[in-house]
Amino acid sequence: MTMDYVWDFSVIVQNYAVLLKGVGMTALLWSIAFPASMAIGLVIALGTGSRHRPPRLLGRAYVELFRNTPVMVQLIWFFYACPILTGIQLSPVSAALAGLILNASAYCSEIFRGGIASLPRGQWEGARALGMTSAQVLRRVVVPQVLVRMLPAFTNRGIELCKNTSIASVIAVQELMYQGRALSSVFYRPLEILSAVAVIYFVLIYPGSYLALQLEKRFALRRA
Amino acid sequence: MNYEWDFGAVWAYRQMLLTGTLGTLQVAVVAIAAGILIGVCLATMRLTHKPWLNYPALWFTEWYRNTPPIVHFFWAFYALPVVLKISLDPYTAAVLALSTQSGAFYAEVFRGGVLSIERGQWEGARALGMRSSQVLRRVVLPQAAQRMLPPFMERSFELIKTTALASTLAYSDLLYQAMQVNTITFRPLEVYTAVAAIFFIALCALSLGAHQVERLLARWAPLAAR
Repeated sequence: MTMDYVWDFSVIVQNYAVLLKGVGMTALLWSIAFPASMAIGLVIALGTGSRHRPPRLLGRAYVELFRNTPVMVQLIWFFYACPILTGIQLSPVSAALAGLILNASAYCSEIFRGGIASLPRGQWEGARALGMTSAQVLRRVVVPQVLVRMLPAFTNRGIELCKNTSIASVIAVQELMYQGRALSSVFYRPLEILSAVAVIYFVLIYPGSYLALQLEKRFALRRA
Repeated sequence: MNYEWDFGAVWAYRQMLLTGTLGTLQVAVVAIAAGILIGVCLATMRLTHKPWLNYPALWFTEWYRNTPPIVHFFWAFYALPVVLKISLDPYTAAVLALSTQSGAFYAEVFRGGVLSIERGQWEGARALGMRSSQVLRRVVLPQAAQRMLPPFMERSFELIKTTALASTLAYSDLLYQAMQVNTITFRPLEVYTAVAAIFFIALCALSLGAHQVERLLARWAPLAAR
């Protein structure tokens, strides 16, 4: 095998604006989907933790459905199949957001559920005894304590979500992966362009991983 | 909402979906096996105290854990052949992308499992005259294996879901076959719902099975579960 391949990164330098636009779309998808998933996840977690049967079953069904099917199938379903059912053609970006949010919210609800379950029941009972409503207990007592414990898990979920945004490229959302594929088919420099795309993703995601590790270490020390 | 569902069109092309399901199964099984091998090698490298083994393994795992799987698929299919000067078929590229990525995750599972066994057990077993390899085989691994099982299964489920990305390389997995059926029947709702249902049923069955195995193991060796 002769290694006489001549690397040529000039194609990256000349088209950095295209990749940058992709990074912008990736960031947009992530910054809408992440908070939305957390909000919906909390609602689902309250459903699965409910004393009543219907919300509990509905919540479990939702979580299991989205955790046991591939994200890519979900995105394709929202883009190609959903319009036939609803009569509304979603744009690629909205279909991607719908799929990403519903998928991530199922995982977020599990984090909330675990976090809320980790709090001793006595705290709920004590706060209720002081005359707070369930919503008040949740807001004033449970969430402030539990949120800190759930930070590492949410950071990891944010990382997974960032990786999942790349799948939006298959329904033609012009995020980083899509731009990389487009450039590589135009200039026929797949090695340089796809490597650059991978490095950009790494630079975007690694700080999050590092943060999650530091958070985990800190909480492990506190528990010990 | 007066759409009339018609799964008849999907049923007529069940043979194609079956081929796709087998394709998905094949790529998943081979990638899990290769991923375990890569994971064991990486975990062993990480557990030695030699920096020239430790650091390359550390950066390999960090790289694959912090980049999206779809990039690995495209890189393996379009970029790697440029380096190697041989073209890879979609199947090989998919197995390569899946096994390296899951190998990185498995490595963390294996390493975490071994490290979770207290030092006292190593020291005690060494004091009884066992060699390091004997301690590992007789004392540490039997206990660690039980702790590794849940995260290992979780990673394997992730891998099975990730196989759907192989369709982007035109590998005839379940999703790719479904796309073909869709272009023939123009029934995306039924076709993609069927794909989701197949994944859902398979993964639910597997996770129920995994729970049963975990419970059986916990009954046989209740001490190690602690």
